[in-house]
Amino acid sequence: MSDAILQAKTQAPPFLARLASLVPGIALLATVGLLGKLLEQTINGYCKAHRIVFPNIEYVLWAILIGLVIANFTRIPEVFQAGIATYEFWLKVGIVLLGSRFVLGDVLKLGGISLILVVVEIAGSLALMLWLGRLFGLKPKLASLLAVGTSVCGVSAIIAAQAAIDADDEDSALAIAAILALGAFALFAFPVVGHFLHMSDRSFGVWTGLAVDNTAETIASGAIYSDMAGKVAILVKTARNAMIGFVVLGFAIHGSRRGLTGQVQSRTAFLVAKFPRFVLGFLAVSLLLSLHAFSREQVAALANLSRWAFLLTFAGIGLRMDFRRLFRQGLRPFAVGALGEVLIAFLTLGLVIGANAVWKI
Amino acid sequence: MSEPTDRPTGTRNLSLDTWAVLLAFLLAALVRLGLLKSIPW
Repeated sequence: MSDAILQAKTQAPPFLARLASLVPGIALLATVGLLGKLLEQTINGYCKAHRIVFPNIEYVLWAILIGLVIANFTRIPEVFQAGIATYEFWLKVGIVLLGSRFVLGDVLKLGGISLILVVVEIAGSLALMLWLGRLFGLKPKLASLLAVGTSVCGVSAIIAAQAAIDADDEDSALAIAAILALGAFALFAFPVVGHFLHMSDRSFGVWTGLAVDNTAETIASGAIYSDMAGKVAILVKTARNAMIGFVVLGFAIHGSRRGLTGQVQSRTAFLVAKFPRFVLGFLAVSLLLSLHAFSREQVAALANLSRWAFLLTFAGIGLRMDFRRLFRQGLRPFAVGALGEVLIAFLTLGLVIGANAVWKI
Repeated sequence: MSEPTDRPTGTRNLSLDTWAVLLAFLLAALVRLGLLKSIPW
């Protein structure tokens, strides 16, 4: 029997073998997500039946909390890790499918306003983080990675920038750890502040879309606040993600001028290579909706498919957040990141209040 | 006729982003064609 297994293993195509290796982790994501959904329904049902006043806690928060408990109080076996790492993949599938909830006109209107805010946010955040990096004596490349991570889109921006500025793996790991830990904090802190300030769903969505770094945490933070806030946060964050190529290109050109990195051969090819494909996918589905390609029932089906993809994402956010591992990386980048994040949160809150006064978002 | 060796390389060249978009488009097409009708939530 073991011979048969060995033979099957050696004959299995690498692609299928890789797919099979993802199954346990994806099953864990689904289990944690479904548990979150079950908890939400059970608690809400119990409170309604017994007329207990209790705030409606969305499955998003439960799924993240269950994942956090598993990741920090147990040791997740290696066999689950590859599948858990697919949460970013499900995030992107969910975002593309969510295009079916936005008519292109809305995307262009809110996206256009968002783009203006995003440009201001990125410029302000980059300048602030680079200054803080110098102030706290961080290595220039580490400061650059932190600046890119906080201003654009978290981990994926750091990975894109690492190659562009020839940063070493240690700097990249430090920046990623800081961004992830701060993202976990923002995920819980932003909704609390939003409720405290009585922010509207749209204003809160714009604020999280501008201020929370990692796309998964941005969407989770918005979804914890409300469904509408989650949708708006995705739109604003997508506009922010679209800027990744420009920011990384800027760092690459700056690095090559200072002799720190190689020459950028073609700026257009660089921008095309770095542009997130899922942003185009989101716009394409939104365009199909605007052309009436889907009936009302089909839109509802696509929206639910997108919810299932996000359920896997939210479970993954908690499951990969092992604080013991993150804080082992050293505290100085966290201090710079934390200080920067607080200032960026204030900056973006100011931007949202200003935009509300001018455009009535 | 060297497809068996070429194909995996081509597959590996697709980014995670691209795979996600392809899966989402496939799901949207299945919904559009009526093969996936009601998705419960």
